[in-house]
Amino acid sequence: MNLRRIGLACTTLALYLGLLTGCWDRNEMDELAFVMASGLDLADDGELETSLQIALPTGIQASDQSGGKKAFMAVSEKGKDGMDTLSKEQQQLSRNINLGHRRVIVIGEALGRNGINQVMDTLLRSPESRYNSYIATAYGTTAKEVIKTPYLLEKIPAVGLNNIMEGNFSISVKTDEFLDGLATYGKNPVTPGIRITKDALGNPTFVLDKIAVYRQNKLVGFLSDEQQKAFMLYRGNTQVITWSLQLVPPKEEYKGTVNIHFLKVRTSVLTRMAEGKPAVDLRIKTTCRISANDTELDFSRPETLALLEQKYEDELRKAVAGVVSVSQQEFKSDIFGFGRKVHIDHPYVWKEIKEDWNEIYPSVPVDVKIEVKIERIGRTQAPGQLMKY
Amino acid sequence: MKRRKHLSQRLTQKLEGIDPISDTPLSDSLDRNEEAIRQAFVNCTDLITRKFYIYRSVPCLAVYLDVLVDHALWDDGLLTPLMSFEDNETDSSEQLIERLKGHLPSVVIPETTRSLKDAVQRIVKGEVVLFIDTSIEALSFKIKDNLQRQLDEPSTEAVIRGPRIGFIEKLSVNMALIRHNIRSPKLKMENVVLGSTTQTETAIVYIEGLASQNVVDEVKQRLAKIDMDSVLGSGYIEELISDHPKSPFPVIQSTQRPDAVSASLIEGKVAVLVNGSPLALVLPVTFWFAFQTVEDYYINFLFGSMLRMLRYFFAFLALSLPSLFVAITTYHSEMIPTSLTISLAAAREVVPFPALLESIIMEITFEALREAGVRLPRPVGQTISIVGALVIGQAAVQAGIISAPLIIVVSLTGIASFLIPNPNMSQAISILRFPLLLCAGTFGLYGVSAGLMAILIHLSNLKSYGLPYLTPVSPLKLTGLLDVFFRAPWNAMYKRQQRVKDEMELENK
Repeated sequence: MNLRRIGLACTTLALYLGLLTGCWDRNEMDELAFVMASGLDLADDGELETSLQIALPTGIQASDQSGGKKAFMAVSEKGKDGMDTLSKEQQQLSRNINLGHRRVIVIGEALGRNGINQVMDTLLRSPESRYNSYIATAYGTTAKEVIKTPYLLEKIPAVGLNNIMEGNFSISVKTDEFLDGLATYGKNPVTPGIRITKDALGNPTFVLDKIAVYRQNKLVGFLSDEQQKAFMLYRGNTQVITWSLQLVPPKEEYKGTVNIHFLKVRTSVLTRMAEGKPAVDLRIKTTCRISANDTELDFSRPETLALLEQKYEDELRKAVAGVVSVSQQEFKSDIFGFGRKVHIDHPYVWKEIKEDWNEIYPSVPVDVKIEVKIERIGRTQAPGQLMKY
Repeated sequence: MKRRKHLSQRLTQKLEGIDPISDTPLSDSLDRNEEAIRQAFVNCTDLITRKFYIYRSVPCLAVYLDVLVDHALWDDGLLTPLMSFEDNETDSSEQLIERLKGHLPSVVIPETTRSLKDAVQRIVKGEVVLFIDTSIEALSFKIKDNLQRQLDEPSTEAVIRGPRIGFIEKLSVNMALIRHNIRSPKLKMENVVLGSTTQTETAIVYIEGLASQNVVDEVKQRLAKIDMDSVLGSGYIEELISDHPKSPFPVIQSTQRPDAVSASLIEGKVAVLVNGSPLALVLPVTFWFAFQTVEDYYINFLFGSMLRMLRYFFAFLALSLPSLFVAITTYHSEMIPTSLTISLAAAREVVPFPALLESIIMEITFEALREAGVRLPRPVGQTISIVGALVIGQAAVQAGIISAPLIIVVSLTGIASFLIPNPNMSQAISILRFPLLLCAGTFGLYGVSAGLMAILIHLSNLKSYGLPYLTPVSPLKLTGLLDVFFRAPWNAMYKRQQRVKDEMELENK
């Protein structure tokens, strides 16, 4: 091979290398502090306070034998902005902060109500932080408290939080979806709400049974109980929700309630213009399975089943319409993303109203219709304990 | 190159200086001939000169090397008939020789020689040379002792369903093994003698009409250019007749299996057999050839295909697993699932070395263990595996010198490299693992991809006797693909001959 050919080969190689991308920062794994979760709070003096939950690898590995070692540590600092606090935190740590494995970002309630614009940029500018970490909002507490709370089921609490959201045991909102809600006119962001409680043995733990509602960049309130369930139904997030219904008046032996699980949910949002104003038709079709029957009725009979379906349609319609009206009247925040649908269906109208959408939204008529189809009744016969003869 | 040629020339000159035999014709005096032969074989205790009479009156002298001659054949087939010839009429020596040629038993075919040098050459080859008084010609008889071992199953290329026979160190037996497989006069075997001192017989084997004449001529030409004084095995000439002796990749296949050679011959390839070596060279070959075994064709095609894909996958692992491990753990820790990251980080916690150094140490240790295991006699080899597994594997992890995940990576890499059927390819991959590891340690995944690309560019530059090394993938030949990544059923491969011809046309361009 003569010199020219070698030169040519090297040039070709160098040209191809330009097509590749890569990271240049070499870091041994034992020189990294893996941040599993971080919390953002508003300190009393108006400064930003961030907290990091850092995994301790040896603690996780060794705790089977020695038990005493901790699996995570938490650091917390106050500062002017995110980077400021991060560098202060770095001064406490012997290893490089690595945000690549951050699973959860918790926003403190006070910070949420104050507005979160200033922190979002520092959160997302760094190439290490990933858009697929989950975002949650602390309910009635600070993010720092959430970060500090241990969780018995998992060695690292952040993994527990992550698994709850990933397993659809609550609603789950990733950073990209949250940003999408923040940065568009036709939709407002929501996140799951975390509250700290105690388990039956008195150990601290957390529950994600709230939904935090934002209006643009400000937290305006939380949905709870029936509203939260109805909103999860709208999102098709039906892993954990069951719905009980008083079908017949209670008797001595039977309470008269029926419970269903949702198998499939299909949501469609239709928009139309009525008298120059947008109107929304929300249609939800769902197929369900009866999971409990505390009545005398035999659902293998079609007319009984039809009655049940009818009752559920009314009940669910009321619940969903309830959330819609709460979002319209109380929060004035379009958490359903109806505005986006208006944008798609009526782009010219949208151009004119998009900047005022938050003001228009409370007065938009929303027509809710639910279709319930019971697909499985659980038992092929009447309830087992019914008297047959 | 120049220096090497110079060296070899000097060596040849030196040897010629030692060689006392000049190319003189034979004398008609028995005594003078004996004197000359004795001088050539001075200090050779195995030289036998035996004087006796033919027709009870003509004195003659048989000269041979005791250790090379088949004694039974010599006694019964030659000596007895010669001595018991009846004295019919007194002939001239020329007539005598003619008559002898016609009257000897069929197992020994006499040849005549006239020069002293030729006679000496024949003696060292194991022939018996018979000098006859008053004749300037000598008769030479091939009654070589068949010094050979049993035909055996080749230990390096074991198969389950194939024939249990392998080449041995004797050229004539190896040639016979191929002839047994391919019974056609089109199967050609041409002999060449290599090595100025060793006089090694070498055979070029091909099937006329299937093998490309260009390749056959090229092989002959390259063999003719070889200027060595000793050729003790096919490995000696493999490097000299290869297109790319400096590349780590084998562009010539070597195999110990007659069925593999026969299959290659039928595909139009050329084989070179060297006396004294149980390994036949097959050429031209492609990159993919190293991942095929004859076994693939003896078993169900589905399983054969699965095995092939398994081999390609593990060959890739053998090449790049350690470097991928180093690159990902030191540069791209966010690519690993969180729970795995934590476990890896915990395992690395006590290790004093950076991941790159750690892997290089372990890879070198593994290569050393492998080499030690190959060279050592079997009973000692077991000790090596205990030392390797317990001391280096377990103890190093417990002592916190090496991390456990790396041991897994290194052993997986080791197993993967054993999955490559061709030992030369396996060596090539073992060598390239180290530069790739350095790429990974300095530039991360970026370096690994750059390194792999450099290897790919190198591969596509290689040619084996005119055949691009990556054929039929690049240049693409669709029918050829049937026998590359998977082994198609036989009836789908019947266009195979066509494919071979296509390849040949390509070469002839």
